[in-house]
Amino acid sequence: MTPMLWGAGVLVALLALLAVGTPIAFALGLVSILALILADGWGSVSILGETFFGGLASFGLVSIPMFILMGAAVASSPAGKDLYEALDRWLNRVPGGLVLSNLGACSIFAALSGSSPATCAAIGKMGIPEMTKRGYPNEIAAGSIAAGGTLGILIPPSVTMIVYGIATETSIGRLFLAGLLPGFMLTVLFMAWTIYDCRRRGVGLDMLGRRFSFRERLEVLPRVLPFLGIIAAILYVLYGGVATPSEAAGVGALFCLIFVAVIYRLWKLSLYSSLFRDTLKESVMIMMIIGASELFSFALSSLFITQTIAEWISLLDVNKWVLMAIINAFLLFAGFFLPPVAVILMTAPILLPIIIQAGFDPYWFAVILTINMEIGLITPPVGLNLYVINGIAPNITLGEILRGSLPYVGCMVVGIVLLCLMPEIALWLPNLLMGPAL
Amino acid sequence: MSFYINAVSAVSRFFGLIAMVLTGSAALVVTHMVIVRYFLGGSTVWQTEYVIYALVAATFLGSPYVLLNKGHVNVDLLQLRAGPVPRRIMQTLSALAGIAFCALLAWSGWIYFHEAWSYGWRTSTVWAIPLWIPLLPLPVGVGLMVLQYIAEIMKIHGGAR
Amino acid sequence: ADVVLKASHQWPGGKGDVRDEMVQILAREVAKANVGVEIKVYPGQSLFKANEQWGAMTKGQLDISAFPLDYASGRHPQFSATLMPGLVRNHDRAGRLNTSPFMDDIKKIVNDAGVVVIADAWLAGGFASKKQCITSPETMQGQVTRAAGPAFEQMLVGAGGSISSMPSSEIYTGLQTGVLDAANTSSGSFVSYRLYEQTTCLTAPGANALWFMYEPILMSKRSWDKLSAEQQDALMAAGKVAQDYFAAEAKGLDDKMIKAFKDAGVEVVEMSPEDYDAWLAIAKETSYKNFSENVPGGEELIAKALAVD
Ligand code: NA
Ligand code: NA
Repeated sequence: MTPMLWGAGVLVALLALLAVGTPIAFALGLVSILALILADGWGSVSILGETFFGGLASFGLVSIPMFILMGAAVASSPAGKDLYEALDRWLNRVPGGLVLSNLGACSIFAALSGSSPATCAAIGKMGIPEMTKRGYPNEIAAGSIAAGGTLGILIPPSVTMIVYGIATETSIGRLFLAGLLPGFMLTVLFMAWTIYDCRRRGVGLDMLGRRFSFRERLEVLPRVLPFLGIIAAILYVLYGGVATPSEAAGVGALFCLIFVAVIYRLWKLSLYSSLFRDTLKESVMIMMIIGASELFSFALSSLFITQTIAEWISLLDVNKWVLMAIINAFLLFAGFFLPPVAVILMTAPILLPIIIQAGFDPYWFAVILTINMEIGLITPPVGLNLYVINGIAPNITLGEILRGSLPYVGCMVVGIVLLCLMPEIALWLPNLLMGPAL
Repeated sequence: MSFYINAVSAVSRFFGLIAMVLTGSAALVVTHMVIVRYFLGGSTVWQTEYVIYALVAATFLGSPYVLLNKGHVNVDLLQLRAGPVPRRIMQTLSALAGIAFCALLAWSGWIYFHEAWSYGWRTSTVWAIPLWIPLLPLPVGVGLMVLQYIAEIMKIHGGAR
Repeated sequence: ADVVLKASHQWPGGKGDVRDEMVQILAREVAKANVGVEIKVYPGQSLFKANEQWGAMTKGQLDISAFPLDYASGRHPQFSATLMPGLVRNHDRAGRLNTSPFMDDIKKIVNDAGVVVIADAWLAGGFASKKQCITSPETMQGQVTRAAGPAFEQMLVGAGGSISSMPSSEIYTGLQTGVLDAANTSSGSFVSYRLYEQTTCLTAPGANALWFMYEPILMSKRSWDKLSAEQQDALMAAGKVAQDYFAAEAKGLDDKMIKAFKDAGVEVVEMSPEDYDAWLAIAKETSYKNFSENVPGGEELIAKALAVD
């Protein structure tokens, strides 16, 4: 059988397994091992254990559970609410202040959390009721938070970037830096759109809930500053030469746990068991997909599928921007159905050689890919953030959330185009702080 | 049937708890390592390896608990749209696929563990711990996955009642 | 071809890396011999991870690999001797070591594990620091170093350095951010990871190199036994060509590294015979001692290696 036929067989089997609802990790693993058994015999089973174990036993991956633990610790406390409230008290005289505090809180919280649904939930719980209370349409309230939440995987730390770094052997520190400015850019685009949309619909942007005295503004700070301190400390630790990303993640997680306990005096055992349960659920799910992807890329490579596809695309000889457009369309499509981590792990080994051969920067591409994944988080049928919002704001229909989110998909597409026109948006900061890439 | 479901679920919860403790211990040990290396200027021998293996163990041992809580992400689009009978068929098929993979992985992991045990293999670092220790959670956790999946199939077909 | 063999290694493919080139030569020579054998090369860990290649060969799941033997030292602790500080000293001695009783012992363990040696290769390496040139053991004091392999770590700690373990791909960032003061790795890695941009002093291998690593081309015995005598001969002949190519290139790698560092304005030094002896004295108290005490036949192996002139 030729590699392309094998590839088609693997794809069909995988889609069939996914369609009946097999967990992504086990669908990937089963397809891989079946293909290997068919091609090389039962002996292939003997390497399953070592390959899966070896795929997980790496210090770089340590940062994934640790950053998830950090985000869960902050999300389990009222820190998201306080962050939101602090911004609101300080910005509420500015026209459009509520929009700014909502999206601003999302982007700041994103700097504490590696995951998008966590960001969405932490800010949305407070932000959405506040917006609807002051007369913003449901669509704007839900859509802006769903979109703002996606920043969790673009603004560092980001579990998606860590996975990309591991899969492509690129520097995680550099990837984080590459995501920072594009993250701010998207925040600004989201804000600009929201303010424009409010004007267009005649929603007042300077509706004040109430006035805050200077004292009221000051008194929220002590609960917020420690977390801003953690963000600053992590950035310092990462780029000031104290520790690697995995180490920063572990230390950050421990400090967030301690801060939550000290600042909010939350000593209830039930709180910690629920935050560790959330951590375990998300990190085990991701780690199992990582282990299975290790088998999947092994099978694709062993059957020469990866190499054949890469060769085939390099022979196509299309313009590199046409190629980029095709890759984007493909990623968008995959993102409609699959979570970011799975898309990255399944496609990175095939796409990266093509990207590099076409002359694109792997760090820049990581940002493009992440924004594509962000879009997937707010588009049906599998848009994780949509369901999170649906869960925390039961009075807003899924349809409203969806309609509200769509314009932000447009903002992200604009973001991708801007990044294509000016790759420096992603590359300037890492090059400035870390020197040119290897 | 419900005795089986309850017993397996209890075991899964127990290992889930161990996995949570391992995750918490990893954060402690990483912090300890950073303090020793950067603030006290000492060498760190065992911390890196401990953290890696603790989190790998947490993954394998915590996996049955995550399955119990429907945490292994899947695409449930068709399942949600299907009628009760086709849905049950799809759920059974996906569980069988999960069992097939987990059984193969647990078996292969057992062989790997057994080799490491009987030949006395060690990790190739200064710490050089016996390799079977970090390998044991693989056959145990993934083996328990098979048992938990069987419980899930029983639940699909009314075993929970 | 009647037989397709899979060859795996961890270095970049098609970019002139000598180890990749060794495997490519093997593949080309075997094809040229026209004995119905085709070798498919999977570079850059695109098939197996570096550490997993050994187990896969012993199980017959991987046919061929260019493999740093020390990676399997968790299974066969004797292999640590092939990345033991000060046992080799220079390229000429590495050549003599290949046919010595020391390597006979090592190769016997390799064979007993179900693996065949197709071609020998020893790579040299050195130290680079951004703090202070590393020559005598005293210069190591207080430097946070990434060392390759536990035997080196034990010796460097014995000299008063402290150790930070990380994959070689992270050394650059480690040096840049100040997590590391120094690093110890192969000449090839020093160049390919552009460590000359982040260091101020290189200790080149020269005549008194502490760092040598055995990275032979190996083949699974199960795959080997499936070949006809004619095919086996062709493979061994091809291995000889690859080995000779490597022997000629190995020193060139060091020269390339020295040039890259000099061009970047980095100071380049070598260890004197006195430095070397001082390090050896520390190694005897640390890594050799550990090895002798903990590894069956370890003491004899070290004695046999040091006996080669
Ligand atoms: Na983030
Ligand atoms: Na989606």
